[in-house]
Order: sequence, then structure tokens, then C-alpha cells
Amino acid sequence: MNERQNNAQPEAGGLTTYSHLIAQLPVTLRPSLNQQLSQWDTLFPFEQNRLAEFLRGIESFQPSTLDALIQPLRALEVKMGVAHWNFSTDGDTVENASLLARSEYYPEWRRTVQKIFEAVNAASRDSAPVQAKPVRLVLLILPDSLPVNPQTAWQQWGPRGHEVKLAGDSRRLIELLVQGSSGQPDIATLLARNGSADSSDLWLIDAEAKLGSLLSNVSPVAASHLSYAALVPFRDKLLAGLNTIPRSIEGADQTIAALRREDWARWWPPELTGQPKLRRFVLDLFLTGNGALVFSNAFVEWGASEALRRARPRVVVARFGMRSKPKPFTSIAIFENQHTISSLPDVDDPEGSAIDAAILARYVWLAASRYPEQEQSICVCISEYRNSAYVIPLAEKSPGWSPEQALTPEEVYTWIAGQIAT
Amino acid sequence: MDNSRRNLLKAAAILLVDHWATSRRLAFASVSAENPRRKVIVVACGGMRRADTFSESGFQNIPHLYRELLPQSAFYPFVRNAGVTSHYNTISSVLTGNWQRLDDWGKTPPASPTLFEYLRKRMRIAQDQTWFISSNKALTSRIGASSVRDFGPAYGANVVFPKQLLINAVVHAAAQGNAVHSTDRATVQPEIEAMLNSDNYDGLGWSISGDSSSLDVVTLGTIQQAIEDLVRTNAPATGDEFTLLVSEEVMRRFAPSLLVITFSDMEVAHFGSYSLHLAGIRTVDRLVSELWNQVQTLPGYKGNTTVMVLPEFGRDLDGSATNGFFNHRLDNDSTRLTWMMCLGDAVRNVQVIEHPADQTDICPTIAQLFGIKGIDLPGKPLPGLWL
Repeated sequence: MNERQNNAQPEAGGLTTYSHLIAQLPVTLRPSLNQQLSQWDTLFPFEQNRLAEFLRGIESFQPSTLDALIQPLRALEVKMGVAHWNFSTDGDTVENASLLARSEYYPEWRRTVQKIFEAVNAASRDSAPVQAKPVRLVLLILPDSLPVNPQTAWQQWGPRGHEVKLAGDSRRLIELLVQGSSGQPDIATLLARNGSADSSDLWLIDAEAKLGSLLSNVSPVAASHLSYAALVPFRDKLLAGLNTIPRSIEGADQTIAALRREDWARWWPPELTGQPKLRRFVLDLFLTGNGALVFSNAFVEWGASEALRRARPRVVVARFGMRSKPKPFTSIAIFENQHTISSLPDVDDPEGSAIDAAILARYVWLAASRYPEQEQSICVCISEYRNSAYVIPLAEKSPGWSPEQALTPEEVYTWIAGQIAT
Repeated sequence: MDNSRRNLLKAAAILLVDHWATSRRLAFASVSAENPRRKVIVVACGGMRRADTFSESGFQNIPHLYRELLPQSAFYPFVRNAGVTSHYNTISSVLTGNWQRLDDWGKTPPASPTLFEYLRKRMRIAQDQTWFISSNKALTSRIGASSVRDFGPAYGANVVFPKQLLINAVVHAAAQGNAVHSTDRATVQPEIEAMLNSDNYDGLGWSISGDSSSLDVVTLGTIQQAIEDLVRTNAPATGDEFTLLVSEEVMRRFAPSLLVITFSDMEVAHFGSYSLHLAGIRTVDRLVSELWNQVQTLPGYKGNTTVMVLPEFGRDLDGSATNGFFNHRLDNDSTRLTWMMCLGDAVRNVQVIEHPADQTDICPTIAQLFGIKGIDLPGKPLPGLWL
């Protein structure tokens, strides 16, 4: 399945105009904006629109107003000595982050940048038409191999949701979602009926290969599908490259830049054929750390969080999985690939994996909660092991069933489908 | 830790210290009238949130610190890291009493004198009396001495990274295509030998490098045996356990006046495993208890030693854009506000001292404890201690 093209492309010369606008901004604002611009073709539609809106917001200011807005940051940059730094304006680098973070003015810098973004975004919003916000679904699956602690499973999920007991086989829910049933369309069809046209609207992120096996039974679905298991050859190759980073910040940036330029074509799984945006997303994901290269559950959490941040999809399905116990020696060199370090057989760590997956599933919901449309988001986290789900309905809405009532997977899916169709 | 594994790691620890001593023609501590009677051990424990340690939800992770050591301590529940919350900068700030803003990867030494330098220069104590022993691969040997002209490496600490030695050996063996397997023990052995033989090897981190030294035949033979044994074991060995064993060997052999140990097993949090992060906290909890027991046992330490235990910082808040417990970048109490436990000689009374303190107050406290006078530091000595 190929990615569909976003039809919100800038007009001819638009990117050059954007580039000129960015050049007028204070130095420390430029790397991130320039990086996005240079990767325009592999940005998701939401990112393209957000960048375009931000720059239109900049453009909408009178020169004197814009100058007054950015002057405090320019003054701060002088105090910070940015002009004397080896600071890249082309894109975000490890060295940029390090230089900013160790400046004594860093907290003030963050506040000042925040103010500029708020003012520009407000200006941008004022000039943009108001659009209805569709409902977002975050579906999180803790598979039956993970013995989630019944005492603590849902303890920290907050008051907006509640636990629902599932009657029957809870594994059925994901089948209904991906494949549909005679009485109910699958989620991709539902999204298409409700105006979603881009594959970045539906994400399926899997620690193992379960979701892929469900997808293979149906006709091509407009979805962004990532399986950690399928990415293992690419991950191993990339990890080997990252482990050549010399012990310096400059060296890290050079190695990362080289890895970005490398042709990885033969290492990508077949599922990512013809999907440059998704490939770029995976490369970014692995190069931004957060455990995505080391543990499959961290990959799922960080992947889902980044998908939410970058694509603002209608539906995110994140399925967690099993981690192996650390092997001898790898527990002292945990950053390494323990499959190459040790030829001892893998031994599952179900208890540890359950602890990891439970907190990381909650982190995905917390990531979804950071955005303004969080009130229009619903979340279902299923523990297949406990035949239990934690359901978070729309803000200040009740799902319409009593907490004591056990629901079948079909009933839960009917509720989800009804919410998505809202 | 099971006995066989502990014995193996212990053997490796002894060998490391032996190697250092042999290269300097020392077997035990130098005898110097200048060596102070009081001793200080600082234990810095990576990033641990208060929520996972000293809080209702965290007590279960620190049974030794909470039940066994807290009732003997002066405890400071509000200690702030107001500097750069990276490992190298935080440890440098604790050691110098000034917030350091250095390259995070340890490319440059601290910009103001460290406690090691004050102690060695002002008190004229011997080279083997100040040690920095660390699990953390984010640090470098430059942390042992500052770039200040009148101080510097001539007055610096001995800096050792025991875990890094093992990591380098294992990783290098893997890079050569040699998988570590119980039946394939010969693959790692030459790598560790090579590490020990290489002069000025940063990973090993002897900051005061004497002449290039190679291992004597006896040591080499013992190392070979120890590494063979270490590779043969199938039980996981953590880097912090090895770091403690090296520290204990240094204590037995040299009884340094100032010993700084940093643990880092809990830093597995960066890779997103909360269960392994908590396991790292529990390991450190146990190791601090073992260290304290060792202090009560060794004649060089019993009755004259102050032990300070502190996290370097917390970790980021759940739900933050910095991915919660994975990182420690947030300008927030979850990351900046931490605690410190003080045990032993300097403790006036068992008490909880709620007076807020900064981590930069630790340096003037230790300086005063050693009677080092005339240093100008922004922090104030901590209350509640005999200084």
C-alpha cells in the first residue's frame, strides 16, 4: 500500500517564501523550522499544515509587531552568546540541544520561545476557519501473555475513565477493529466514510506481528502500520551503526547525519515499500532514542506518542508485547543488541514486561492528552490477560453503561464505532 | 547475588585494584602524617524520582534505605539540583560546589577546583587517598580534576570506571563477531586483557596515568582465570555490583580519605523499561546497605566515616513532553528536587532536616568536615552535622 499524497501543498515558490520567513527569525528558532522545511515531502499532512500555518502567522504580523515579539529572544540570544556557538540553523542537532541546555539562561529561553509560539499560533488561529474536531480513538492492547497486576493495573489512569469487565474473549476486539464483521465495518472503512483520506489518520503499531497478520486477511487498508518484529533487521543494522559513535557531541551529530544519508533500501520490511513518510518516521524514531531501538514496548510507546504529535491521527492502535530477560553481560551493556552479544537463548520476562507495558500504555494516553483536542479523544486500554479494559469516554460524557456491567468485545466495538462516526 | 557470581566479580575487582597498585609499586595505603583522620564517602545514585524512593509509593523499592539506614541518619528531604540535570554536570557541581555548565559528554574538566584537589593540595594528602569510582558511562576521567591553573590533574583523584571496562570488553568482542556464550569464554578474555594493558584508556579511566604499565605474569594469570570464570557464569551481573566490589577493594587496600562512588543501573530508564529501572533502584538500595556495613567493619573506617547518599536528580514527570521517567531534562520538581541521607561520624542527631538545601552545599560541607579553610564557595555547609 502506498502513501496517499497530501493535497495541501504550498503554492509554487511557497517553500522558498517559507525559507525567507524563517531566515528573519532569531537564530535559535530556525533549526527546527528549517529541518521541517527541508523534509517537506516526508512530513505528514498535519505537520505540513502546522508549519504553513505558523509561517502564515508570522507573515500576518506588521513588521513592527513582529519585531516587538521577537526582540526579547534576540536580546536573550546575545546574553547567551549564541553568536559564538557552533549552532546549526539547518536542523536540530545533539550539539544544539546541549548548548541550549547548559546555558544558564535555558529556562528563560524556553519561556521566551513559548511566548512567541503562543502569539504566532494565536494569530494563525484568528485567520484560519474554525473546523469541527473529529473524535480520536486511542486503543491500547496489553496482550494475554502479560500478567498485569490486578491491584495496580488501572490505579493511575485518572478519574475520567473506569474499568470495564469483558465477557468472552477480549482478543476478539482487535479482530473486529481491523477486520470488521458481517454487521460492522472495520475501522479503516469507518474512517473513510467519515472523511479520512490519508493513511496517517490510522496508525497500527505493534511490538510483535499480530496486527500485520490480521491486516493480511483484508484488502489494502489505508493505514500506517509498523511492526517492531518486522523492523528487526533494519533496527539491528542501524544499532550497529549507532554503536560506532565516538565519544563526542560532534561525533554523534556526524554519525547520525551519516546514518540519515545512508541507503537503507534493502533493510526495510516489505510492508514499508513505497512509503517514504513512514520510513522517515521510523528512522527519526530510532534516532531520537527513548528506547525504541532497544525494547519493543518502548518502540510502541514512543512510536504512538510521536505519531500523535506529528500526525494527529483519528485512530492509534498500540499493541505491546514481551521483553526478554537481560542476559549475562548484556545487563551491564544494556544498550547493546543482546542477540548478537550472547548466543544464549532468549528467556521471556512476563512480569517485567507487564510492568513496562502497563506504564507505557498509560504514557500513550498521557501523550494524547497533551493536545487541545484531548476532550474529543476516547481511550480503550485492554488487558487480555485480565479480560478487562479501562475505558475513557469523551470529556464529561458517559459511555452509557454501568461500571458493573460486563461487555462483550462486540458491544465495545459497537460503542467505538458509534463514537468514531460522531 | 549468588555466591559464585559474587566471588567472580570480587576476583575481578581485586585484580583491577592490584593492577593499579602494581603500576605504582604500592600494595597498601601510603603512610602519611598528613592523612586526615576523618573520612568521607559520597554515593551518587543516578536519576531516581522521589515518587519511586522516599514516598509512600516508593518505600517498597528502598527497604534498606528506608527501614535500616533512615533511622540512623540525618536526612535532608529537600535537596535541589539547580544546575544542568545531566550526569557529568551534576557530579561536577557536587564535587566543586559550583554549578557547572560543561560539555555533557565530559570533554572538558570542571571549571573550578574539585574537593579532591582542595583536599590533596591544602591538606597535602597522598595520591591514593582520593578516589572516584563510577558505573556511569556518561562520565570521563576528566571529572577527577579541574582546569584551574593552580590545581588540576596533579592534585586530582584516581578515577576508575569498572563497568566500562567490562562493557568495552564485551562490546568489542561482539564487534569482532564473537558472541558471548558459556562455551565460548575465550572470546571476551583477550579483550579485557587488552583493556587492562592499554595505557590512558579513557574507558578504564586512570586519570593519573603513570608510565605505561603492563600486567605482571602473576596478575595476568589471575585475570585470565577470573575472566574465564566470569564468562562461564550464566547469571546476570550488574555494573553497579561490580563497581561496589571495586570500591570495597579500594577501601580495604587504601582506605581513602575521600571516596566518591556513582551508581547507574537505574539509568536503564532511558531505554524505557520501568521494571528494570526499579530493579536498578533496588540494587542500589542493597549496595548502599552493604557499603555501610563495610564501613562498620573496616578498621580504617569504623567510627570516623561520614557517608552521604544522594540521587543526582529525579526523573521527568509522567505525561511530560520529555517522555516521563525515561529522561531527566525537565525544569520541574520531579527532576530537580531530590534528597540526601547522611550517615556516620558527622551526624549530630538522627533527624529529618527539612531546611531546603542545594547540591552545591555538599562541597563546602565536606570541605569543613576535613578542616579545609579559606575556600570561597557559593553554598553553605549543611545544618545538623558535626563539622
